[in-house]
Amino acid sequence: MPRSDRSDTSASDTVVELAEVTKTYRRRRRSEHIGQALARFVRPTFETVTALDGVSLRIGRGEVVAYAGPNGAGKSTTIKILSGLLAPDQGRVRVLGLHPLRQRIELVSRISVVFGQRTELWWDHPVAASFDWKRVVWGIERSDYDRMVSFVKDLLGLDDFFHSMARELSLGQRMRADLGLALINEPELMLLDEPTLGLDVLAKRRVLQSIVDMNRERGMTVLVTSHDMPDLETLAPRVVVINHGALAFDGAFSQFRTKLGDPRRLILVTADEQPPALTGATLVRSDGGRHQYAFDANDVPIAGLIDQAGALATLLDVETQRASIDDVVADVYDRWLGERVTQAAPPSGRIRPR
Amino acid sequence: MAGRARELTRLWSKYAGMNLLTLIRSRRSAAIEIGTDVVLNVAVVSTSLLLAQRFNGIGQWDKYQIFFMLGYAMTVNGALNIFFGYNLRMISRRIGRGQLDHMLLQPQPFWRTFITEGFMPFSEPSVLVIAGAFMGWSAARLPAGVTALWVIALVANLIASGGIVMAFQVIWGAIAFWAPMSAEEISSSTNRMVLQLGTLPLNVVATGLQATLVTVVPVGLTAWLPARELAGPGGPGLGALATPLAAPVFLILAVLTFRRGLAHYAEIGSQRYLSFGHRR
Amino acid sequence: MTSVAWPVAGSIRRLGPQARAIGKTFSLSAIAALGDSKLRLLDSALRIVRVVVLLALWRSILGHGETANGFGLGTLLTYTLVGELFAEQLSAGSDFGNWIWEGSIVSKMVYPFTVVGQIIADVAGQWTFGFVSVSIPILVLAPLLGVDPLPADARALFAFIPAIALSVIVGLAIDFILALAMAVYDLAPWLVANLRAAIAAVLAGTVIPLAILPWGLGTIFQWLPFASMGSAPLLIYTGSGHVARLLLVQTGWAAVMTALAAGMWRASRERLVSHGG
Repeated sequence: MPRSDRSDTSASDTVVELAEVTKTYRRRRRSEHIGQALARFVRPTFETVTALDGVSLRIGRGEVVAYAGPNGAGKSTTIKILSGLLAPDQGRVRVLGLHPLRQRIELVSRISVVFGQRTELWWDHPVAASFDWKRVVWGIERSDYDRMVSFVKDLLGLDDFFHSMARELSLGQRMRADLGLALINEPELMLLDEPTLGLDVLAKRRVLQSIVDMNRERGMTVLVTSHDMPDLETLAPRVVVINHGALAFDGAFSQFRTKLGDPRRLILVTADEQPPALTGATLVRSDGGRHQYAFDANDVPIAGLIDQAGALATLLDVETQRASIDDVVADVYDRWLGERVTQAAPPSGRIRPR
Repeated sequence: MAGRARELTRLWSKYAGMNLLTLIRSRRSAAIEIGTDVVLNVAVVSTSLLLAQRFNGIGQWDKYQIFFMLGYAMTVNGALNIFFGYNLRMISRRIGRGQLDHMLLQPQPFWRTFITEGFMPFSEPSVLVIAGAFMGWSAARLPAGVTALWVIALVANLIASGGIVMAFQVIWGAIAFWAPMSAEEISSSTNRMVLQLGTLPLNVVATGLQATLVTVVPVGLTAWLPARELAGPGGPGLGALATPLAAPVFLILAVLTFRRGLAHYAEIGSQRYLSFGHRR
Repeated sequence: MTSVAWPVAGSIRRLGPQARAIGKTFSLSAIAALGDSKLRLLDSALRIVRVVVLLALWRSILGHGETANGFGLGTLLTYTLVGELFAEQLSAGSDFGNWIWEGSIVSKMVYPFTVVGQIIADVAGQWTFGFVSVSIPILVLAPLLGVDPLPADARALFAFIPAIALSVIVGLAIDFILALAMAVYDLAPWLVANLRAAIAAVLAGTVIPLAILPWGLGTIFQWLPFASMGSAPLLIYTGSGHVARLLLVQTGWAAVMTALAAGMWRASRERLVSHGG
């Protein structure tokens, strides 16, 4: 439905609403041993996996929200529930005020979904043909279509390959084409599942900048999942972190960092090769006279560490580094994984729902 | 009603245009695709054709009755290939490979996507031409001859047979909702049944098996039963109504089964995704 | 003697790990063939229904005592039954074309055992399910269906073993060649597979013995590689053909197709690496 024809049915500013949503899967257990595989063919055994565990989330109109979490956390399940592809076991889901499953057709005409590892392009046709296909199937007016095609071509730099066959595109080009295709129906909400997967730095930057521009120019609400934390940090003011189906954090990125402490690196270059032992910092690496330490600046003042080092060795150079968000998050995921392992499954091997 | 027809026409035109462009872009691919289709469709009927020619008929059917049945079968298959390309006839592949999401993310009813997205009128017409010619040639040699009533009965049965084949594909293909990996290719198996057994004169099999072949595995309704009524000496009698009356039953069953499968799919989603065969 | 012994010993030593690799690939392929549900058995049921209909068809064509080009009813029934028992072997095909299409051929080429070994292990694994769910039930049902599943005589049985092996070699070589052609000429794998199945349906003689075909077609088709793939083992099994001539023709085609496949592989190897994903 073209933007100009839409009546503003959702007077509310809430675009996405999840309330106590739970989703579990029953997964068949498999074996790589023939005997066991045959036994399970005759008598299958299953395990229950909790993908979402009482998730509640609200996203307002015009927000850009990063949705992060380790593999298997429930990100893609959330996207599928929001786009009407999957029903929750419990809880309430509303997108643009609509029930995703019962009002699927109206919903999908007003949103767009991009799965990074899947394409909506017609493989043996030029990109332009896929765009025109969408115009017909979505019933987009010709004037709106022409306007939007011009817009996305400019935004995503599609001119170079707009008339090339989809099968001839590089991954970055394909991703941009898919993004452009997702935009031509002027969606009110864009759901992006790993849109930068496999892209090089330049392509990634281009895709992310396009998302920012779309949000700024059109007030489009965006929910994007990714493993690329630095990119999410530049893209989205708000981050929602999900862990084993439950929300672990929902707030600004700066708050996220604060909550996880302020991990830093201190690099000392000393006259001799023996690294000084510092209280409050852990030696990470030592190479000749160059020593790297990890510490939490929330707990240990930097000045104190430098004073300690100065008393113990002749300092030639001092450098401090803020840990990248990737490192911060990796440590957190590691910690969560460790916690999960220590709450290990009983000997039967069944995964206990969280 | 008029609105629906307009929508369908618009979508069919779009897909027809895309099909034509694919063929025009590469004459080599077009020649290979069209040539392969002809070979395939002729090969499908080859068993019965060669046996009928060799033995001057099969069982109680003379040669021309067999040829008529084969032409009928080719016409049904050719028409279905025109409307249900891109693995829509092999719906279990779309389901098993997790490609159904692409259909569910379109803002139109599922049935409309199903009957329009596979429209490929320019890749398949050669088969229809051959089939039609073959059916016409053999019909002219049938005992009853061709009358207006006969033509009406033929058209009604052709449409009904097409509906039954697709219903069969959908009912069995829906198994892939519950067993996406195991049943991914079940539509190929059911299609093979239609192509291989549907072109055989099934009056030669035992009654119990015949009953199976007009119900659970309704290949008997795809060519044999209609051809038996149309190619018989007395012309089309009440028996010619059997297939047109059976078609709505199968179609309703197909709709109910598929809806059940879709509801199950909404519960469990798809843990697999293979892009193989998706829009290519 | 020593200059021969060392390479031989080396080859034998390498056989161990190769054999283990093939065995593991075979077992994984067999497990994968089980699928994710018992509903897979419905597929097998359809194959059994098909063969029952074909048997009924022959009974309607030939009365008791009648023959067609030297084939009696009993022989034709056995021919059809055994054709279905070994259906997968008599038109051997692999996923090689799909490996090329998807680009996974590149990974296969850096495994520490041969691509041919991988194909054979993979195919053999896939066959196990069909063997257990279709071939064995058909064999058990044969007496109930009024079909004698036994070979013509002991000689036929002994000759059948190399015949079926040669049939598999010819089939896999044809599959290999078509897959390479698919890559070189940029054809879709489904197109190639359908075309092969269609041609084999007529030319292989697994449903209708070639000798029975009208217009003297069988006389021509019997010399083609598809006949070596399909009908030759069945003719040997039912004692309906000249064993030595059939085996000789099969061996000839196996050699020719294998050489052609090897040549095409060498010529298109580099192109394969860039094909697909």
